[in-house]
Amino acid sequence: MLAGGWRGGGGAPRILIVDDDPNLLVLLADQLRNDGFEIQTARDGEEALRRLDGGWPDLLIVDMMMARMDGLTLAREIKARADLPIIVLSAIDTADSKADLLEEVAEDYVTKPYHYPELRARIARVMRRLGDKVPRRELILGPELTLDLRRRAATVKGQPVQLTPTESRLLYALAANLGNTVSTETLLDRGWGDTDDADPSYVWVTMRRLRQKIEPDPDHPVHLVTVRGIGYRLVQQPTA
Amino acid sequence: MSDAGRRPIDLSTATGARAEPQRIGPSMSFRARLTLGLVLSAVLPLLVFGVVLLLVEVIRTGDLDPNLVRVALFVFAAAVIVAVLIAYVLTTNLTAPLKAVSRAVERASAGDLSVRVEVAGEDELARLVESHNRLAAALEQRNAELRRILLAIGETSPRDSLERLLAHATRSARAAFGMIDARIELGDPAEIPPEEDIPGEARPVRAVLALPDERLGLLLGHLPATRAWDAADQDLLELFASEVAVAIRNLELFDQVERQRLQLVELDQAKDEFLRGISHNLQTPLTSIRAYAEQMGSEQPDPRLAIIVEQSDRLYRIVRQLVATSRLESGTLRPATEVLAIAPRVRRAWDALGASSVGFELEDDAAGWLAIADPDQLDQVLWALLDNAVRYGGGTPIRARVAARPADARLAITIADQGSGVRPEDRERIFDRYERGAAGVRAEGTGLGLYVSRSLCRAMGGDLALEAPEGAVGATFTILLPGEPPATDS
Repeated sequence: MLAGGWRGGGGAPRILIVDDDPNLLVLLADQLRNDGFEIQTARDGEEALRRLDGGWPDLLIVDMMMARMDGLTLAREIKARADLPIIVLSAIDTADSKADLLEEVAEDYVTKPYHYPELRARIARVMRRLGDKVPRRELILGPELTLDLRRRAATVKGQPVQLTPTESRLLYALAANLGNTVSTETLLDRGWGDTDDADPSYVWVTMRRLRQKIEPDPDHPVHLVTVRGIGYRLVQQPTA
Repeated sequence: MSDAGRRPIDLSTATGARAEPQRIGPSMSFRARLTLGLVLSAVLPLLVFGVVLLLVEVIRTGDLDPNLVRVALFVFAAAVIVAVLIAYVLTTNLTAPLKAVSRAVERASAGDLSVRVEVAGEDELARLVESHNRLAAALEQRNAELRRILLAIGETSPRDSLERLLAHATRSARAAFGMIDARIELGDPAEIPPEEDIPGEARPVRAVLALPDERLGLLLGHLPATRAWDAADQDLLELFASEVAVAIRNLELFDQVERQRLQLVELDQAKDEFLRGISHNLQTPLTSIRAYAEQMGSEQPDPRLAIIVEQSDRLYRIVRQLVATSRLESGTLRPATEVLAIAPRVRRAWDALGASSVGFELEDDAAGWLAIADPDQLDQVLWALLDNAVRYGGGTPIRARVAARPADARLAITIADQGSGVRPEDRERIFDRYERGAAGVRAEGTGLGLYVSRSLCRAMGGDLALEAPEGAVGATFTILLPGEPPATDS
């Protein structure tokens, strides 16, 4: 589904880092190269767009606050050309909240000063998700449930419901395997790949909360079905 | 004079001393007098005639015939009865218009001025009725005028501009008082000379725009020469002028408040802008410092590099606190609702502080309960509370405990030190902005920690409180967060 997406076996994943701080650019490129990524860097938005013309990377890491073209404008420009995954790397600031950014352009968000292991875990998580084939548009799961995972939203009985980033990540993994069972371990990895202290109860509790949100009758789930001892399955109900 | 405009309308004093009702004639009702008059005028001639008749009879016969006397008495009595009956019927028709007038006057004094009485003829009664009708009409017109004035006063809104307010006021004055022209001059009323009143020409009128403490100007205008103008009218005009003065003052105050509000909004934006700039400009170098120190440390472990990382993290936490304050105040803080295990998070927050010289004990009684919270914001709260415990604990060991409260589906995190505690008078004050444990004693940190922490907890649907002191030492803080009971694979 992604133009220029990482095709697994096709060599090292390519990452384009855009940041106006040269110190950081050099260091981060260094750290990621050591982990086997193929890295390109750009000092500002215009340079980044020029580099895109020479070939699409698998993923972009974009600083939000840059002097010449701010990250949000750049991210929109990029998304207008190709649906490339973007991780926002930025100093927290007072105006934009994480949620707004994620909703609009970014797959994930890491605050500066970043912890390299956390950043790496998030890159890996976004990369893994690229393999998941999920419809770009709305996914109609039944007469009373429609998912729009790109907007982290669902429509339940005609009412809009907002999903948390974690919930939408889990649904993403389940939707990519629609009708098939996804193991609890996989879901744990997709939902909480960057935290050490997550355990299966995270999946269970989140699924319970998710059912409260999206199932027409949470006590008798028809879409989010538990497969005892293995995991969960997302089920499409025939529309009447 | 300054309070002239404030004088309440009092029509009774304005029209002069109220006249005492005059009593004329004997204390008998009109109808009784009329009846008596009719009876007397009918019966008296009869009586005189009867007495003369009897006297003639006595002179002629020298004797009085008892039969004749009886007949005379009977006729007399019958005449009296007939006269009373006739008088009754006649006066009934006569007093009917009087009753109508009296009813109309009663209704007028009760407030209904629309009743008019019609009487045929041109006698005194008709004149009385006509003068009542005129009075009622005059009163009705005056009432309408008052209503227009009151409406005009009520209509001035402080949101209008000064020109619009003045235009509206002069328009209302013209309409309400029937002026030919009206204008408002702002400035000292004493400097505007009064206009000469030439009989037969339009009559100049003026009223001071008076406030209790100031005179803002004059309301000037002309009346048709035929328009009557008495003290009550002047009082009303002055009342109107003082209301205009109040409206002008309100407009000034409103403008002032609005200017100050805009200034505050501007200042607030400048503050946010400043904080954003600061946070960006601090975080950019901090990111490089931290990342290089971390990288060097991973290549060649050195405790000095660990200190650099630790201290840059500390600086970063202070920046985040400032940013969170700004977000809380601008209302742009929106917590995520993620599922979290609390005990590992507390442990990690403790490790991040790097206070390895202080003892730390973590007890997990959550029994599998998970919290619903924003991980970043919860970290901020934990850092602030643990940092406080280290700072004010005086090196004593710190105890943290996580426990579930199934009754209200809450998770409670308590963090306790054994330092000097919080003085009773400071127990709530410490949650205020820019407050520190004991004022000025240890002026470390931003003074925002507890304020931000409590606000963040509340934003996440929980709370932060200082527990009542147990024993003599230490401070115990409790974070409450929405909790989820453990779930099983079913």
